[in-house]
Amino acid sequence: MKISDILQPLTAWKNLVKDPITIKDPLNRVAAPRYRGFHKNDLETCIGCGTCEAICQNAAIDMVPVEGIETKDGDSGLRPRIDYGRCCWCGLCVDICTTGSLTMSNAYQWIDNDPEVFRFIPGAEEKPWDTADKGYKRPENYTLNPLKRVSMEELNPADRIQGFMEIVKGFSRDQALQEADRCVSCGICVATCPAHMGIPAYIEAIRNDDLNQGMRILYETNPFPEVCGRVCTHKCETVCSIFHRGDPVSIRWLKRYIADQIPEHEYAAILDSPQEETGKKVAIIGAGPAGLSAAYYLRLQGHTVVIFEAQPEAGGMMRYGIPEYRLPYDQLDKDIKYIKHIGVKIRTETRVGRDISLESLHKDFDIIYAATGLHEGRSTRAKGSDHPKVYQAVNLLRDFTKGLEIPYEAPVIVIGGGNVAMDIARTLARLHMQKMGRVDITLTCLETEDIMPADREEIVEAREEGIQIIPGYGPLEVVSNGDTLKGLKTVRCVSVFDENGRFNPKFDHSDTQFLPASIIVEAIGQGMDLSYIPESIKKEMKTDARGRIQVDAYYQTSLPWFFAGGDIIEGPDVIHAIANGHTAAKRIDHILRGEQ
Amino acid sequence: MKYFEEDRSKFPPKNADGSFQIDLESHKFTHIWQGPQHPGVTGNMSLELIIQGDEVMQCETHVGYLHRGFEKLMERRKYIQCFPLVCRICVPEPDFNEYCFAAGVEELAGIEVPEKALWIRTLVLEMARLASYLMWMGGAAGSLGHGLPGQWTNYLRDYILDRFEELTGGRIYHMYILPGGVRNDLPEGFKQRLLEVLDDIEQIMKDVKTVMFNNTVFKKRTQGLGIIDPSWVEPYGITGPNARAAGIPLDVRKDSPYLKYPELDFEPVTGQESDAYTRLDVRRRDLLITVDLIRQILNKMPENGEYMAPLPNVLNWEIPRGETYVRAECTRGEYGYYMVSDGSMYPRRVNVRGPSYTHAVALMEKLVVGVNIADVAALMTSLHTYPPEIER
Amino acid sequence: MDYVIQELKTLFSGQNFEKKRGDLLFATLDTGVLVQALKHLRDMLGFRHLVLITAVDWIEEDLFQITYLLRNYTQKTDVGIRVFVPRSNPIMESIHTLWETAATYQRELHEMFGIDFPGSPRVNKPFILEGWQEIPPYRRDFDTKKYAEETYFPRPGRKTHDPETYMKQKLYPDGTES
Repeated sequence: MKISDILQPLTAWKNLVKDPITIKDPLNRVAAPRYRGFHKNDLETCIGCGTCEAICQNAAIDMVPVEGIETKDGDSGLRPRIDYGRCCWCGLCVDICTTGSLTMSNAYQWIDNDPEVFRFIPGAEEKPWDTADKGYKRPENYTLNPLKRVSMEELNPADRIQGFMEIVKGFSRDQALQEADRCVSCGICVATCPAHMGIPAYIEAIRNDDLNQGMRILYETNPFPEVCGRVCTHKCETVCSIFHRGDPVSIRWLKRYIADQIPEHEYAAILDSPQEETGKKVAIIGAGPAGLSAAYYLRLQGHTVVIFEAQPEAGGMMRYGIPEYRLPYDQLDKDIKYIKHIGVKIRTETRVGRDISLESLHKDFDIIYAATGLHEGRSTRAKGSDHPKVYQAVNLLRDFTKGLEIPYEAPVIVIGGGNVAMDIARTLARLHMQKMGRVDITLTCLETEDIMPADREEIVEAREEGIQIIPGYGPLEVVSNGDTLKGLKTVRCVSVFDENGRFNPKFDHSDTQFLPASIIVEAIGQGMDLSYIPESIKKEMKTDARGRIQVDAYYQTSLPWFFAGGDIIEGPDVIHAIANGHTAAKRIDHILRGEQ
Repeated sequence: MKYFEEDRSKFPPKNADGSFQIDLESHKFTHIWQGPQHPGVTGNMSLELIIQGDEVMQCETHVGYLHRGFEKLMERRKYIQCFPLVCRICVPEPDFNEYCFAAGVEELAGIEVPEKALWIRTLVLEMARLASYLMWMGGAAGSLGHGLPGQWTNYLRDYILDRFEELTGGRIYHMYILPGGVRNDLPEGFKQRLLEVLDDIEQIMKDVKTVMFNNTVFKKRTQGLGIIDPSWVEPYGITGPNARAAGIPLDVRKDSPYLKYPELDFEPVTGQESDAYTRLDVRRRDLLITVDLIRQILNKMPENGEYMAPLPNVLNWEIPRGETYVRAECTRGEYGYYMVSDGSMYPRRVNVRGPSYTHAVALMEKLVVGVNIADVAALMTSLHTYPPEIER
Repeated sequence: MDYVIQELKTLFSGQNFEKKRGDLLFATLDTGVLVQALKHLRDMLGFRHLVLITAVDWIEEDLFQITYLLRNYTQKTDVGIRVFVPRSNPIMESIHTLWETAATYQRELHEMFGIDFPGSPRVNKPFILEGWQEIPPYRRDFDTKKYAEETYFPRPGRKTHDPETYMKQKLYPDGTES
């Protein structure tokens, strides 16, 4: 034993004269700026996608409705409610939050005798820390889900302008798996899709590499996966939860990937066959997306379905409107062939009202579904627009598909800012390239570029292909000299819609342009031709003030045997047409089975 | 009737295998439980003791008071969801769990961790070592009746927890080392504040040495207590300071260098006597090495750089089929994760190897025989055992 | 590591060698040669530290995998030996004679997986789960969630909604367009 070992420990007494190091007021100690305390949620930014709930390993989060928050496109109306009896404060919910609305405050002191108060909806129930600026937030450059899309390979402008080759190449397996991986399966998109396709489910099928299952999910709501995988207006992607912080999931290309991978001859083995024959008969007028979709689902139920189509081939606007570089004919045929394969009969070059009367159809069939579409071009009615060298885009596109010569003399002016205008401009650009080796096309429209109705990529690609776009000008006068067209005089458009949101353009007449042209193509919208409905029937049918057919939610007119759908009801959009064909088919099936 | 036999050479009689013949009915033995609620045990475990007078004759370790079935719970959680779970396997130093789990996932998934993240991880692990040693030091002091040094080291630990709080957002469970990297960069001014804490620690550890290690009572009680023969290290799977105190320089940081340890300059601390005093002293010296290591890390760590590798969508994350074992040197020895993936989104099996598994059961039961009942607590703290890593 | 593979291959007909890292090797052996092989690894090849013993339940194949992880301190290498025993009759030879500490691992495996190691000290004595009535809980067919729901009391008043289903209810309940 050393004497120092007895004396040395006594040095501890020196602490008697030191200041204490304890915190004086521990209840009001402020936590570090990164501290993971009670949650905050910005209810305005939150879309109720539920990924916070999905990642919570403690099941501490419930998605619940909140008063005053409406369920609408892109917002489920639900908000997370957190049970602090379960929360472990890991903050993964903050990291994965698709909108970034969920954060944490640095508040952690809260004492209460009632355990129920520790379960609340952050943001909806006012808390002292709602305004705290400190607390955990997802750091920059850190994300638990990839935000960048897998880029889609496309033909470059110089190559694609040479012909009508499909521009978009489609995903490889690796690309599709990588893109499918980005989906957080929240399902917000399903409500926005007009057909309410099972989007998260088929994306999951891609991840599981079970494309047959993916195919079955696609056909549950949409018998046009090849078409929609290419030209769908993909409203779903505009509400994709990932879009709030990054690129939306390429839902459309993923759909296309499934359909592209499965050869046509395998469809029958994968998909459901029609049920037993019911002996009931349905006539469908028009083999466009709505008619074919209705036909497919009616045939699946075992009904006999005959489609009457005026054109030489089925497809409607999908064939005679959309150019081949966006939707190759063989891909369209693939979808249509399968509809035919299950027993839908299509009588082409049979125009109802000319080759066969509606009355005789009514006599021979139990139900008639009319989906004749919008095939009549609308004129700008500008002065001089009745000139023979002023053409309608829909007519030119139809003739071109049929293999007929169409006029292309440069310079060409296309009037219109929608997808049809882009289609005709880009078709003519390819013709220009083939015939003259250069593109001389100008596209002008009322809308300024930010409100042009065409898809953004259409505008970008059109420019890349050498088309000049002059947005924000309206046609004033077609200038001609006898049979020779000189050009188009335009005037700057100040506003397209009035304060009620109605189409009512206002012009600034001090700002006009003259665009020289050899031909002018009008592409400002299409109208319908309902002349096949005899006056006697039309009289009995309920119509609105402007003579449009009135239908209920199931596309049934006031005549129980007559349904109408597709573009003539919904306006031009392929996915809407497919969706309402399906809806009508469900209703028709009920009626035919004697169910109400 | 004599209730106490003074001549221990003859009593109690031995069985053929060398164990004692214990007849509880004879009233010459007392059957007592030390723990699970006892200030002298490290965490919630208990020793079922049979004593004769004040001397332990037989011991059986009982665990299970903290069993939460983590390994099983992980099997029904996605990999990312296991991340908040693993840190809870060891309260005083959760970061070794976070690191081992992350390293296992990274190895199975083939993820390259950015340089800066490796440095930050090394820093975090050494900070955790510091915090854990400081808390343990308090326990060790307490179990030997030294209240004062225990208070000093525990407030120092709180300073480390303050630094953890500003770095990771949590004091005890940091949930910071994520597969792929770490969750955030160092905050502004962090290095400076951490260095100040290190200075404090060095200062106070001098006092601890004077007051505790140079204390004759302390020495009397710990010297010669619970001697681990170096030949036991292999059959009993002894690792870490318990092995180093026996003169066997086992240290995963040196033996199988991971993270940035190859770039750091240090030598494992060893001892010779292999008794409780040596083990405690080895840890005290190891603590000072850690202080030095943190200074080295702060010095060498690059200022900028990515701290997180890009991950796939963690909600759909499937890990390729395979198995691996990753280890790290924690304060008690070898901490390891054996992970098996079946290619799905959920781990097939995660097995946590905590050093206490061997130290607190087989070794403890052997060492405690013949020890005075008053020294059992000191013996336990000298082995530095944590029950949650035994029963997970 | 190559000499380890060589030895295990020739002496114990080891298969499925998998070099996980430069310092970590996994190999599969027959149950019959396991104890011999571990003794050989320990005494002849320097793998003197038993890191862990654990099991994996491959219920689909009706097998338990038992993994023995050994470490060579001088070479700084590890070898993991896998053996497979049928789930229907899970018995494995004990190695507590090679490493005293193995008894603890074997006791746990018996409790958690129901794998028996005859002769291992206290192998039948409850270790972590005193008073356990169910099947061994680390088997894949033991449902922790179900057990928790039946054993504990879930907090009342919890209700959640799936966004997709909820939006359907609100916006297009009968499947028609909104």
